[in-house]
Amino acid sequence: MSALLQVFAREARLAWAGGGGAAGPAAFFLACISIVPLAVGPQAERLVAMGPGIAAIAALLAVVQTAERLFADDASDGTLELYVLMPVSPALLALAKVLGQSAATLAPLPFIAMVGGIMFGLDFAQSALVGLALFCALPALALIAGFAGALAAGVKRGGLLIALIAIPMMIPALIFASGAGRAALEGEWDRAWATVLLTLAVSLGTMALMPFGIAAAMRARTG
Amino acid sequence: MTQIVEVLPDLAPFESFALKVADLTLSRGDLRLVEGLNLSLSSGDAVFLMGANGTGKTTFLHALAGLVRPDRGQIMLGDTPLDPEASEWIGWLGHVDGLKPNETVRETLRFWAGLQGERKPPIMPVLKALDIGHLIDRPTGRLSRGQQRRVAFARVAVANRPLWLLDEPAGPLDQRGRDRLAELVAWHRGRGGIVIAATHQTLDWPGAETLELIR
Repeated sequence: MSALLQVFAREARLAWAGGGGAAGPAAFFLACISIVPLAVGPQAERLVAMGPGIAAIAALLAVVQTAERLFADDASDGTLELYVLMPVSPALLALAKVLGQSAATLAPLPFIAMVGGIMFGLDFAQSALVGLALFCALPALALIAGFAGALAAGVKRGGLLIALIAIPMMIPALIFASGAGRAALEGEWDRAWATVLLTLAVSLGTMALMPFGIAAAMRARTG
Repeated sequence: MTQIVEVLPDLAPFESFALKVADLTLSRGDLRLVEGLNLSLSSGDAVFLMGANGTGKTTFLHALAGLVRPDRGQIMLGDTPLDPEASEWIGWLGHVDGLKPNETVRETLRFWAGLQGERKPPIMPVLKALDIGHLIDRPTGRLSRGQQRRVAFARVAVANRPLWLLDEPAGPLDQRGRDRLAELVAWHRGRGGIVIAATHQTLDWPGAETLELIR
């Protein structure tokens, strides 16, 4: 277990040291939710109705935007080979790596989503639920991005491949995360909490299965 | 040799073991690189893999590390066929160094040794043996190419694995670096380790054999 904590801590540290940490995804996310009112108009009712969905879509795109960085450097500098040759479970290593890097880069997104919800006219409780739903969806989004990133590592124009692989797989998390916010907006709090739990279930299921896919992709990229 | 013995800790010798490659055939895509290769090595041996570009030296190393599945043939460590558990045996130096520019030498070596289960890796002695002890707290991105190669080699040496697989180990090294590398290899072989190195250069490793790969 300590080996996996080492991987988690190292990946988080390297994401801050070399990749600017959370600044890129946070700026991207903030830009996405800020420009929507400029594009769709300032009508309050429309913005409130769109708020949860815009937050979920912006989060998805922010995560996809980080995916290429997850494995591309490792593939080109030889780290991927070393990881594959370590005497630890490849799936657990992949889980620790992706979650470590994602913890460093994606952590502010739920808070920004909460602020974005208020900007869109949701009340505090509704905005907090939007942030919470997004927080529950992030592990699934990050691991799917990790899987696509590992498959595309070392491939020219890997970003396109990542988008084609990752975005369809992210749809369940997107639907549940935005659905929770919409239910809260309609005042159906029981349904909202149930949808948050479903979002969490999607993330837990992804955490159980996706590391095996990432490990297989890592191995395939080193052969 | 004397200097290496002075700075390196007196580590226990490895248990005697043998590496046997029988009738190995390797391809990359449609291209057949290695066909019917046989090789038998025992503790203390060293082999240079030589040959022109594209003859399969790196692919052969990948196969020995379990990264590539052979088309045919067997690789045996002792009496057991090679399997993913071979990572417990292998010290790997790829043709790129596997270093992160923002990580210091100390952080790099401590991380990889820890991941391989080494609780007290001899980091400083190995760095001193490679003449880079004074660089221990410097980010690897601020080292010269030759110094980075020495750090990558130190990562192999501190991990305490008996089978070293080295891909162009001396590429960017100057003569002094190559001498240090040769001494560290001799120290490893003296402990009963095996070293297989793919190289284009003629290195001075006494007693090392040469295996020429031809397309």
